[in-house]
Amino acid sequence: MATGRYVSDLATGDRLGPIRYSVSAFTVREYCHSVELNHEAFLGIDTPVAPPTLIHLDKLKLYEAACPEGTGPDARLHIEFDATWHAPVPVGTEVEVVGETTERFEKRGRTYVVTEINMTEAGTGRALVDYRDTVILAFRSDAKGEAAE
Amino acid sequence: MTRLAPDSEIVAPPRAMTRERMRWYVDAQATAVANDGRPRHGGPTIHDDDDYALAQGLPGIIADGMVSTNWILALMIDTFGAEAAQSGRLRTKYVRPVYEDDVLRSRLRITERVATEDGDRIRMDVFCEMQDGTPVTVGEAEVLVRDA
Repeated sequence: MATGRYVSDLATGDRLGPIRYSVSAFTVREYCHSVELNHEAFLGIDTPVAPPTLIHLDKLKLYEAACPEGTGPDARLHIEFDATWHAPVPVGTEVEVVGETTERFEKRGRTYVVTEINMTEAGTGRALVDYRDTVILAFRSDAKGEAAE
Repeated sequence: MTRLAPDSEIVAPPRAMTRERMRWYVDAQATAVANDGRPRHGGPTIHDDDDYALAQGLPGIIADGMVSTNWILALMIDTFGAEAAQSGRLRTKYVRPVYEDDVLRSRLRITERVATEDGDRIRMDVFCEMQDGTPVTVGEAEVLVRDA
């Protein structure tokens, strides 16, 4: 187990969470406004829903809980987002989110970490969103070719 | 909604990745993670702080890949309606960094449309690219459109 300190320590098999929270209109609106998801389905008052992309920030919540000392010495590079959403997530829904480091491997001198995250409705366990996130740790030496987080 | 057949393309108007757009995401990220009803300022990160980005070996701040992912999602919702946020999939891969004031356009290319009992399942390739066509974000998506 490599949780407890830095995100850069995470190893295959590390479990993150669970965390539970209520999806708030404030968070959904602030997030959607920032990325210009200017649709009433997200920003309005008639039972707005969370965009499926918001699951990416659950990774950060899981990191925060599991790795209280932060990222580590260097910034991470986000390489791939892969989410499947099974049902809408209306504001006010109580959700439970769990994650697991499913892969950590070296490729061309870089360390890749894959995290699989599942969001369910708290209480019922109904699947809402499944997310697979891939990052590179410590990209300091060469930033060509990828965006970053 | 216009019925979109395979090979149809939908292209969003160009947008400049300004420094403010990069910072909005940094702040929203901090706000969403705190989730306590109060807006936050995030950072410093490689998306909003020149000195931090330079110290990480970058020539300047670069955009978070999730900004282009969300621009693609916005185009999907513009095209297919809010149903696109109810059942579907989006995979995006970040293939080039996006620097301050790069001008990007998002694009969808329909690859398959299959009628099901629940509606039409539509698959597509997705892109966010420079105006000369150089891709910065690529991937694929799928939505279920019930009112097709």
